[in-house]
Amino acid sequence: MSELRNSIENAESNRRRWPWIAGAAVLAVLLAAGIGFAVTRGGSGAEAAGDGDGEPVRGGTLQFALIDYQRSPDPHWGTNYAESLIGNNVTDKLTWQDPDTGEITPWLAESWEYNTELTEFTFHLRKDVTFSDGTPFNAAAVKANFDQYVRGDQKLGINPNGAVLLSGYIETKTPDEYTAVIRFSTPLASFLQASSFTANSQPGFLSPATLKLSDKERTDPTKVIGTGPFVYESWEEQVKTVLVKRKGYNWAPPSLDHQGEAYLDKVVFNTIPEASVRTGSLASGTIDATLDVGTTDEKPLADQGFKIISRSVSGTAIYFNFNSQLFPTDDIAVRKAIQLGWDRSAVEKTVLTDSYSIATSVLNKSVQGYVDYSGSVLKHDPEQAKKLLDDAGWKPGADGIRAKDGKRLQVKLLGISNLVVNKPAYESVQQDLQKIGVDLQLTVVPIPDYAAQVAKAKTDWNVTAANRSRNDPAALNLVYNPKLGNSSFLTQGASTGIDVAEVTAALDNLETTLDATKRAAYAKTAQDLLVEKYALVNPIYNPSQVIAHADYVHGIVFDAQSRNHFVNAWKSNGK
Amino acid sequence: MLRYVALKVGRALFVVWAAFTVTFVLLFVLPANPVDLLFDPAEINAIPDEVKAQVAANYGFNKPVALQYLDRFGHALIGDFGNSVQSGKPVTHAILEVLPSTLVLASGALVLAVLIAFGIALVATATRRPWLRNLVEALPSGAVSVPVFLSGILVLQIFSFRLGWFPSFGDDGVKSLILPLITLAIPVAGPIAQLLVRSFGTELHSGYVTTSWAKGATRGSILVRDVFRNASLPALTIAGVTFGNLIAGSVITETVFARKGIGRMTQTAINTLDVPLVAGIVVLVAASFALINLVVDLIYPVLDPRLRATLTTGGTA
Repeated sequence: MSELRNSIENAESNRRRWPWIAGAAVLAVLLAAGIGFAVTRGGSGAEAAGDGDGEPVRGGTLQFALIDYQRSPDPHWGTNYAESLIGNNVTDKLTWQDPDTGEITPWLAESWEYNTELTEFTFHLRKDVTFSDGTPFNAAAVKANFDQYVRGDQKLGINPNGAVLLSGYIETKTPDEYTAVIRFSTPLASFLQASSFTANSQPGFLSPATLKLSDKERTDPTKVIGTGPFVYESWEEQVKTVLVKRKGYNWAPPSLDHQGEAYLDKVVFNTIPEASVRTGSLASGTIDATLDVGTTDEKPLADQGFKIISRSVSGTAIYFNFNSQLFPTDDIAVRKAIQLGWDRSAVEKTVLTDSYSIATSVLNKSVQGYVDYSGSVLKHDPEQAKKLLDDAGWKPGADGIRAKDGKRLQVKLLGISNLVVNKPAYESVQQDLQKIGVDLQLTVVPIPDYAAQVAKAKTDWNVTAANRSRNDPAALNLVYNPKLGNSSFLTQGASTGIDVAEVTAALDNLETTLDATKRAAYAKTAQDLLVEKYALVNPIYNPSQVIAHADYVHGIVFDAQSRNHFVNAWKSNGK
Repeated sequence: MLRYVALKVGRALFVVWAAFTVTFVLLFVLPANPVDLLFDPAEINAIPDEVKAQVAANYGFNKPVALQYLDRFGHALIGDFGNSVQSGKPVTHAILEVLPSTLVLASGALVLAVLIAFGIALVATATRRPWLRNLVEALPSGAVSVPVFLSGILVLQIFSFRLGWFPSFGDDGVKSLILPLITLAIPVAGPIAQLLVRSFGTELHSGYVTTSWAKGATRGSILVRDVFRNASLPALTIAGVTFGNLIAGSVITETVFARKGIGRMTQTAINTLDVPLVAGIVVLVAASFALINLVVDLIYPVLDPRLRATLTTGGTA
């Protein structure tokens, strides 16, 4: 039967060969056209250049890309980079911190003074500032903002979020319309810096009308009103946030030397989770600038004519915080050996780009009071490290990993995978430590898993790795003070060989003065104890925020917290 | 017949309830506390306990789990899943906002996948060139094994970055839909095509085809008139079941092409332990899955006279 069929089939074969040939020809033409088109486009894309610097051009839309999206338009509530970034352009703060010097300079407050105990801060406000709904910005607005920022409002479903930044907040008094007095129960020197804070969960000022809205109502971006250089046009969760220029804005931080309104008409924050799509979209001209540039993308983009700008994230370095209570990091010899046991130049060469730097203290260079330990304890000295371990009784075992009393020198690290550099940097440290007989075990996970594990860090993890973004030496107080973050789990007695009271007092001191010299001295004492004397931390590298932009883009500002402001940004093609 | 329908509807409702309950249990068994995830991880330890307690109270996380379950379940019954913990948006609102985007993507991809699958099956059966048949028959397994992520990046590289024919991200209009559709359709087309190629082959060898041959019909007319119709039924069934594939694939497609959608929303909601949002999404997905299967179950007796006969004579299904 099938033979019959075959013969029928074959009998009618060879009838139509031409459609195949025609098809192949069409395909070839299409392919050739495609390649030709691709080549011409590739050529013109690279030279889509502008006129260079010079007078800022007004107008145009900046298409900006980043990895995160804004989960809520309420700037008080954002804990990711997109949220703080957008919040910075919709709201203003009392003061502006100079990113280069760390000095606190005027913004919405023209001047300020504080009492000697640093429990009362008086701000004298500008009188010409209005919210974009027309309401004047005054002391009452400051009070309403800080009250809700610190305490939340259960009826409206607004959570308290100023607990860390404004700890011990009592009240804001308003002796006259343009004077706000903020009072605390304990000295809080770092509040002055907090008044300029632009990072996550920031105290940017919202209109009194906005403060009366519930969390649900605040998801309507047009109702989220600030005093900033831009106002919300739209917010599309997961996709993009569009800001438009605020008409009549004239109170940019005086330090920025910017007169009047923002130059750009519009800024579009596009969320693009995938790295290759961000760089591809930049290269093909769909977007003008992108944040979250991967280390491996920096050079290729620079070679294509894009500008790479970056700023180290002010605050602490990416740190390995040692658990002072858990075996084997309860042994100071182990902690010191880990500080000495890895090659910083290898991490610099193989993992970091020029946008990043290796850590030379637990504080970043840009923070006032930073001290350099690269010549003393934070250097690569494997011989010294081995000697420390030998002297402390850690004997190399058959596999090269040391042991003491039958217990292996195994150090469990918990880290976050949110920065691309973290894992490779930790792996480099891990390899070096292996050579001196320390088995560093890495668990590098996304933020939610990290947060879940941090709750059990005291009993389960020798090292927690992260960083804290705040351009003030008091960041150390938040991270290490046994009364606050206590990241090294200091407890008198349980933390062998550590005078916990000494560390606590040194950290407490950071909140007691705003005298620059004294503060620097206190910061040095605190770093000496944390880095040198008790070796409670092994700083790794200073993370950075890296932007790649087309050469016709100018004036994107990195502030003291390494967040961006677009009031000064412009495009030389004005498009 | 009525009993059959009641049984199937009951089963669908059970699936939705079970999905809601299992998700709820899982979320509370997970190691993280949803309140912790609302703060910057570098700050969690420094947040005073009173503040955490107040936030927990805001969302009702301080009540016993059983009470929370009953409360949320009661509200869910009337379609109220509360507000998203992360954005403050009402859950139903948040879902409805992204749902159309995913629906368009998923249903479009399904249609395209079915077309591709039929194309592959027709070519594989119609051709008399062994090399072409082998090539085309290898396509489905190839399609299944290429990760969505990779094919997404690849089509973007060529058609968006190089040729500039389509936008590389976002969802504005039809143009931005084409690349995601193709990306998502490829892996979904695989299993359907495999099944079709096989049933086309089987049907081509059945008796009625030989009869047609003998009557002098051409290969093309046999394929279209006889084989196509008979081989399509099982493939349409599997297309319904592929819904799960589509949802899984849409998570990645939505991420690569930066589109909004239920896939990405689910991923974020689970990552941030946004309990109300996860509960809402799970119920929605489970309900759609149950609904699709219910429709397939109910259509079967309509299409297959044998099953209808069993049902009317009182047999069990």
